[in-house]
Amino acid sequence: MADPDLDFTSGDAGASTTYPMQCSALRKNGFVVLKGRPCKIVEMSTSKTGKHGHAKVIFLSYFCMAVFNHLVLVIGVKCSSLSLQVHMVGIDIFTNKKYEDICPSTHNMDVPNTKRNDYQVVDITEGFLSLMMDNGDVREDLRVPEGDLGKEIESKFAAGEEMLVTVLSAMGEESAVAVKPMTK
Amino acid sequence: MVSTEQRQHAEHIFLSFRKSKSPFAVCKHILETSKVDYVLFQAATAIMEAVVREWILLEKSSIESLITFLLTYVLQRPNLQKYVREQILLAVAVIVKRGSLDKSINCKSIFHEVSQLISSGNPTVQTLACSILTALLSEFSSSNKTSNIGLSMEFHGSCKRLFQEDDLKQIFMLTVEVLQEFSRRENLNAQMSCVFQCYLALANQVLSWNFLPPNHILSCREVMHYIAMFEATQNVMLKPTASWRETLLDHRVMDLFFTVHRKIREDSDMAQDSLQCLAQLASMHGPIFPDENAQLTYLAHLMEGLLNMINGIEIEDSEAVGISNIINNLISTFPRSVLTALPNELFASFINCLTLLTCSFGRSAALEEVLDKDDMVYMEAYDKLLESWLTLVQEDEHFPRGCFVQPAVQVFNSYIQCHLAAPDGTRNLTANGVASHEEEEINELQEDDRELFSDQLASIGMLGRIAADHCIPLLTGLLENRVTRLHGQLQRHQQHLMASADPGTVDRKVLDDLYEDIHWLILVSGYLLADDPQGETPLIPSEVMEYSIKHSTEVDINTTLQLLGSPGEKATSIPGCNRTDSVIRLLSAVLRTSEVESRATRASLTELLSPQMGKDIVWFLRRWAKTYLLVDEKLYGQISMPLSTAFGADTEGAQWIVGYLLEKVINNLSVWSSEPDLANDTVELLVTLVEKRERANIVVQCENWWNLAKQFASRSPPLHMLSSTVQRTLMKALVLGGFAHMDSDTKQQYWAEVLHPLQQRFLNLINQENFAQICQEEAVKQEIIATLEALCGIAEATQIDNVASLFSFLMDFLSSCIGLMEVYRNSPETVNLIIEVFVEVAHKQICYLGETKSMKLYEVCLTLLQVYSKNNLGRKRLDVAAEEDQYQDLLLIMELLTNLLSKEFIDFSDTDEVFRGQEQSSGAGRAVSAADVVLYGVNIVLPLMSQDLLKFPSLCNQYYKLITFICEIFPEKIPQLPEELFKSLMCSLELGMTSMSSEISQLCLEALSPLAEQCAKTQEKDTPLFIATRHFLKVKMDDLAEYSELVETLLSNQRDAVIYQRLADAFNSLTASSTPPTMDRKQKVAFLKSLEEFVANVGGLLCVK
Repeated sequence: MADPDLDFTSGDAGASTTYPMQCSALRKNGFVVLKGRPCKIVEMSTSKTGKHGHAKVIFLSYFCMAVFNHLVLVIGVKCSSLSLQVHMVGIDIFTNKKYEDICPSTHNMDVPNTKRNDYQVVDITEGFLSLMMDNGDVREDLRVPEGDLGKEIESKFAAGEEMLVTVLSAMGEESAVAVKPMTK
Repeated sequence: MVSTEQRQHAEHIFLSFRKSKSPFAVCKHILETSKVDYVLFQAATAIMEAVVREWILLEKSSIESLITFLLTYVLQRPNLQKYVREQILLAVAVIVKRGSLDKSINCKSIFHEVSQLISSGNPTVQTLACSILTALLSEFSSSNKTSNIGLSMEFHGSCKRLFQEDDLKQIFMLTVEVLQEFSRRENLNAQMSCVFQCYLALANQVLSWNFLPPNHILSCREVMHYIAMFEATQNVMLKPTASWRETLLDHRVMDLFFTVHRKIREDSDMAQDSLQCLAQLASMHGPIFPDENAQLTYLAHLMEGLLNMINGIEIEDSEAVGISNIINNLISTFPRSVLTALPNELFASFINCLTLLTCSFGRSAALEEVLDKDDMVYMEAYDKLLESWLTLVQEDEHFPRGCFVQPAVQVFNSYIQCHLAAPDGTRNLTANGVASHEEEEINELQEDDRELFSDQLASIGMLGRIAADHCIPLLTGLLENRVTRLHGQLQRHQQHLMASADPGTVDRKVLDDLYEDIHWLILVSGYLLADDPQGETPLIPSEVMEYSIKHSTEVDINTTLQLLGSPGEKATSIPGCNRTDSVIRLLSAVLRTSEVESRATRASLTELLSPQMGKDIVWFLRRWAKTYLLVDEKLYGQISMPLSTAFGADTEGAQWIVGYLLEKVINNLSVWSSEPDLANDTVELLVTLVEKRERANIVVQCENWWNLAKQFASRSPPLHMLSSTVQRTLMKALVLGGFAHMDSDTKQQYWAEVLHPLQQRFLNLINQENFAQICQEEAVKQEIIATLEALCGIAEATQIDNVASLFSFLMDFLSSCIGLMEVYRNSPETVNLIIEVFVEVAHKQICYLGETKSMKLYEVCLTLLQVYSKNNLGRKRLDVAAEEDQYQDLLLIMELLTNLLSKEFIDFSDTDEVFRGQEQSSGAGRAVSAADVVLYGVNIVLPLMSQDLLKFPSLCNQYYKLITFICEIFPEKIPQLPEELFKSLMCSLELGMTSMSSEISQLCLEALSPLAEQCAKTQEKDTPLFIATRHFLKVKMDDLAEYSELVETLLSNQRDAVIYQRLADAFNSLTASSTPPTMDRKQKVAFLKSLEEFVANVGGLLCVK
């Protein structure tokens, strides 16, 4: 992985936004960075080359959060040595297609620091949410998410219902990922 | 092109033609004039169906002339398409069978005709004759080959009985004559061969006849038998009635089949039939043998024939499976007493032949593996023969002592040889000695060899015990040799690496060969030294014990212990190593392997090691430890001194080895955290060490154990890199160890090391004032997840004697977990894990809990469900995994509810078996009952369930299982439910009954019956339950209301007076016993019983084919 062109973990993702974890300790339903993107692991399996070979872990995951609707390149990298073989496939979340990656199970993978916060929706203006923070401040920098969830939020707001949205943040990006009516 | 409509139209024409009344004249005309095969076929079918349909109306003479017409028709047209000819012959067979019911027609005339056809010498005519016989046989066999002619099972059964006593024998005799005739011929041309093959197949069909016992009394079981025989015709053992004695006990018959096989064995198709005939003859048993003597004579003749056949030839690939079938049938059918009564010489040469065959099939099977053939005939044959060996030697006390030792040595040797690399073995060598070696991709779903080949390994292990004198030293020598070589090889690599530091240049070929050798040697050793009985206490196999005892006088105990205690040294370098106990030395060879592995990891050569070998080692050690460690002398009649001195209770040897195993476990867990399977096998070894109190007592004396506990409690590397399942099991082991015998101070200290840090860290964390703010920090989340995982592991460690303390420990956490539910309400992965903790606790503990403790658990579960419901109602998520997450939550919740309910069936806390009765009397003051929790839980689950979610089969199943449980256990609670809940419950039931699988609707019906009873008990007609139940009953009763009508119809359809009476009586007794329909258990049982009798009585009449 010495080739700088193949390094996907840097960029706007600062060092503190992720932490390393050995492949084998990752868990299904947990998070991992694939191709510089925070992902949720939906499937994990191991395989080895030859009966006496060492295990590799195969991930199958979706982007865990809404990102812009761009297509991620499909890239394959093959190294000669058995234990350094990497093979990744990544596709955008909106097509609901899968990300795949193979790496030796001894390797460390980056895990994104993720944070979820619930905010009350106080207003929607020009496609932006106004959210009330815990300390009473209001932030207005989050877009209404695309798709069904966004429509749900807008129609609820139009009907005058009070609701909480869950905002997920990871690696410097943020997005509303869930909505729930306020409990009285 | 023909369009779909045209096709349907054409089909319709044929179908209605086949239903037309008395089509005989038309059909005859068609048969005589039409040139279209398909039309001829349909005409034949029409005749067959019409004869069966209009039987009563037809004159006997016209039926006979019809038969003659059909037979003459096929005779005169040798060029008919095969399927047309067979259909016409089928029509003949069906007519004959139908005629046999009122005895208007019998087979005699047909047989007469057939024998004339056969003697004609014309191959075409002879083939036709064979087809006639085959058609008759298929019809009368009452199997799945039989046509559907709308008659009762009883009719089919009695036809079959009559047929097998007389006509079947006649067919067999005719067949034998033909085969004899052919076997005498010198040169068979292709056409003749074909005829030969037909008759051979026919003979096979006769010998595979599923004979019915000759009595005429029908039992319920027999009705089932009828139905079953319509389904299966495979693997029938030959069990002819006594009347077949003259036919089948005639040696000439058996000789004929040997002769036939010799003649045609190069033709693989025919050889299959002839070998199958012989295999059927080898499976013969039952009343055909008047006494054991007859059986002995028969077996001796069979064996002689078999030996003559095999010894003179080189076996073809296509013969392997057939021959092994003969041998396997013979060994499993004939009783030991008959086998032992055989002339010594004959038996010896049989065993000798079996040995050679086994070895040779084994070698060919190995070749097949190398060539990666699709069709593994030799592997199949080899499996069969190994199975035969197992049958033979498992009761070897019947045979002369030691008679299997030499054969066992040979089979064992050849197995080892096939699995070792050259030059000692032949693994991966093709027939001309070329090595082939391919690295293939192996995924986690592929079974490990120890499971994949468990049957083979069990047989080989058993043979190894029989010949322990040879096999144990052999395995030891080979393993010690490989370990020494592995050690040397690794050292060379290390030097090489230090010189060049490029791991890419290492050639793994030599290493992989060594690993594969060691892999098989350890597997065989494991299967030889110990069994793996599920649930029972495994014992040292008597052969191994005897072997060790026999040599104990020549053994020097001290040297043995020295050998055992120095796994780092070469075994042969220890002075006097030849005077050591061989069983211990084999174990110590595995320990030496383990030591080389451990040292390599310390020298940073892990990359070069084989995780597979690592797995083999801990697998072996676990299997060994279960059986040998702290061997209990009370379980054995006699015990070997070396074994009891080395591994007995209170011995230094046992202590040493426990320490050694612990060290191995610790080393593995730190080095192999990236190999999930190996790490898993390793913690399983650890669980084995502590799950038995006696072993745990020694374990907790080891310093390493305490270190492990401390290290795990501190969540420091490397243990925290293990996968979550491994961490759970590790926690389980640590808790189990805590219940070993320790003085109270030590015990206190142990818990202070193991459980208290967990609690402390957790409490410190959640009690921080700003917990709500920091809860999303990564370190905090990890700490929480690790704690939850550990709780699952603790719950898994529950045993009856530790439940009290574990329960109160876990209860504290459970309450805090509810708070966590609130804090992490928007983190589905954490919520899921929290529910899992509750599921585990309920699963492992509820059955041991007394009333107050269960109450506590019910309450906390109830709160959990309330919080979950509050946080998830109306929640919408964006990501694609949302549905999957919710599905997992709901599945867990239902599992939790089912676990709570299970208290009602399985309850170890109270010896009183009527738990419910006792509960009703004393439970008046109870705050919460299982019913309340579960119903409340259902109340929560129901709104979250959607029809889409029910499409997950496991969820759907779990959901309906839960509902049914509730209705069965608390029918009295159902009417008291809140209206909404009641409604949705009823909706679910209706949905389950109408639009789910049959399994689900059965569950729903099961749920309905207690509800109906509940209604009957209370006698209140206006309750919603009554109304709902009536609704369902009405749905079902629409069918059942026609019951009496159905009876009438059935009765009026029966023209036969005897059967009419039988049916009428049967129906009367069925209904008489069950009126009036009260609801106590006795009545139900009585009704079930009479229903069963009813089925037995008339089932044979009513089942129609």
